[in-house]
Amino acid sequence: MSSAVALGRRYLRAAWTPIVLSAVIVLTWAIVEYADSVTLEEDVMRLFLWMLLVLAWQLFSGNSGVMSFGHVAFMAAGAYFSALLTMSPTLKEINFADMPEFLASWIQPAELGLFASMLAAGALAAVLAAIFGIAVARLAGIAAAIATLAILVIMFTFIVQTPSVTGGSDVLVGVPRETTPGNVAIALVVIIFAVYAFKQSRHGMRLRASRENQEAAQSVAVNVRLERYIAFVIAGLICGVAGALYAHYFSGFAAADFYFELTFIVVAMLVVGGMQSVAGAVVGTYFLTIVYLTARRGEVDGVFGMEPPSGTANLLVAIALLLVLILRPNGITGGREVPWPGALRRRGPVAASAAGTVPEEVKEAIAAGPSRPDAAPASGADATTPTSGEPL
Amino acid sequence: MIGAIDFQVGVDAVSFGALFAVMALGLALLFGVMRLMNFAYGELIMVGGYTMYYTRDFGALPMILITIVVVVFVSVLMELIAFRPVRHAAPVTLLITSFAVSFGLQQAAFMTVARGRQKGVEPYPWLTDQHHIAGLRLSNLDVLTLLVAAGLLIGMTLLLKRTTIGMQLRASTEDYQMARLVGIRGNRVISFAFAITGLLAAAVCILYVLRTGSLSATMGVTPLLIAFVGGAIGGLGSLTGAALGGFTLGVVINTIQSSLPVDLSGYTLMFAFLFVIVVLVIAPNGLLDLTRKVWSAVTTRLGALDRRAA
Repeated sequence: MSSAVALGRRYLRAAWTPIVLSAVIVLTWAIVEYADSVTLEEDVMRLFLWMLLVLAWQLFSGNSGVMSFGHVAFMAAGAYFSALLTMSPTLKEINFADMPEFLASWIQPAELGLFASMLAAGALAAVLAAIFGIAVARLAGIAAAIATLAILVIMFTFIVQTPSVTGGSDVLVGVPRETTPGNVAIALVVIIFAVYAFKQSRHGMRLRASRENQEAAQSVAVNVRLERYIAFVIAGLICGVAGALYAHYFSGFAAADFYFELTFIVVAMLVVGGMQSVAGAVVGTYFLTIVYLTARRGEVDGVFGMEPPSGTANLLVAIALLLVLILRPNGITGGREVPWPGALRRRGPVAASAAGTVPEEVKEAIAAGPSRPDAAPASGADATTPTSGEPL
Repeated sequence: MIGAIDFQVGVDAVSFGALFAVMALGLALLFGVMRLMNFAYGELIMVGGYTMYYTRDFGALPMILITIVVVVFVSVLMELIAFRPVRHAAPVTLLITSFAVSFGLQQAAFMTVARGRQKGVEPYPWLTDQHHIAGLRLSNLDVLTLLVAAGLLIGMTLLLKRTTIGMQLRASTEDYQMARLVGIRGNRVISFAFAITGLLAAAVCILYVLRTGSLSATMGVTPLLIAFVGGAIGGLGSLTGAALGGFTLGVVINTIQSSLPVDLSGYTLMFAFLFVIVVLVIAPNGLLDLTRKVWSAVTTRLGALDRRAA
């Protein structure tokens, strides 16, 4: 009997982080359903859709240490593809009259549901990621970051310059509005578990090892390129699904929605929360979304009867971002997952740093040690060296 | 006739490339010293552009001087306020910090100087005067751009190789910790690096604004992107490499733009960035590194041949 309880505890403990994070998501969803307010629903939808992207970023960049600026391109591909597959055929015949025949023959008559188009979007995004990934997986550091940036520019230019398939830079309208907070909340819970499971899987472990020290990982037979490639493609797939959900919530969207602005918002959320943990991705998304939306509400409605000039909200977000980075350079969570309550009680908050196995706790403590702000020289007048070999 | 047209394209491309070489140089300097990819560099150009707008009636020389002073000041201030506190942090934190600074400056500009109708700086008429030399159209601005770029590249080289502070800067680029251990003042060197990038940004800004004329809060974004990517394909680790890369990408973009058929010319950036990916895969450490490797391989082979012949 007691062994069954112990086993249950073990499973609960292993899945503690995704369980807590999912509970937060479900709670947010419940609040939306209960409050029955259109503005709140829209805000929470933005939060949820951003979070899907931040989780994809965590999976690739957080585990591999290779910064990506390009996954929004896969989201764009997913959004356009799923939109084209679900719009009514008559509308497509009018708007996309000169679509090339080899596409028109199967895209024009298609009229899929949300779930099928989501799968299709994920598949297309994964295929694109698999093609571009061949190049990106070979690179590290700044070269990889620039290559992913190039993917973003390539996708944007293609969408804007190919109106016969995408509608060009105009807003694509007439996408059936099928995404509900429930849909996205379920997708989020599934993806939170998936991303966490990936992090703890052997692939995630190898990838994190290569992040800490690429040479050492290679010396114990980790195929760094392959591991990066796998993560890159999975993250692309998640972005494709997020794109489909995005398209079917806002029902009208434009190429400019999927460009630098969104990329930077997502990267900022991940960095603010703490890149190296799934909890960081969720916390960062909540933090910046709440700051941003509150500031924007204040700007639109006025504060204490004053009318702040337009742009104040964005300025406030920039300042909040700076403050967090200055105060907590490793993000709000510092790369830790949700602490297990027992560990908190027994060994105090410091020992609760990681929910994983013992080697990971040790590893993370080592990794976090020298770069923690409180560990920096007390004088503070001068900098310690920025480690030159650190991956971007 | 066809040859003349090709050369014309070449002249435009070279003057365009020179602009980005200077800009990439500024980015590489900061990257070398503190692993910072400074997205706020584009906003220095924006700040300079608006300074030019408000001082445009003072005459050319005062306008240029005030612009340089303002941009250098903003650049140094940026380091003091935003980058100094996060200097120990990981490169990605620095990157996001620079993004926050860039975004903040853009918004501040939106709220103040960029409000209302579109502003612009009218280029001086003598700048657009064209000379016809050997069948080529060459404007004064092209000549000026090339001269300034060449001057700045030579000046930078002298500064870095011949002056004490330049040597300290290079030492810090190599190994910051070691440099500090032998008595180089880290803060001073980094402030100095930011001042230099401010100077370079001011030069780029003046040439760029005189070329395009129009101002906006986000005007720095596109040149930054090109210089940044150019610097990376050249090799941000070295100043020569970055300048070479910025120049190459400037030339490539301009050449693609003028050689694509009209219905494809919108795809310029797409082809340019495909080129970037290819270059990165072939030479992940930059074009300069690749050239060096090829060169050393060739010389080794030749040496082996010589020995065999002997």
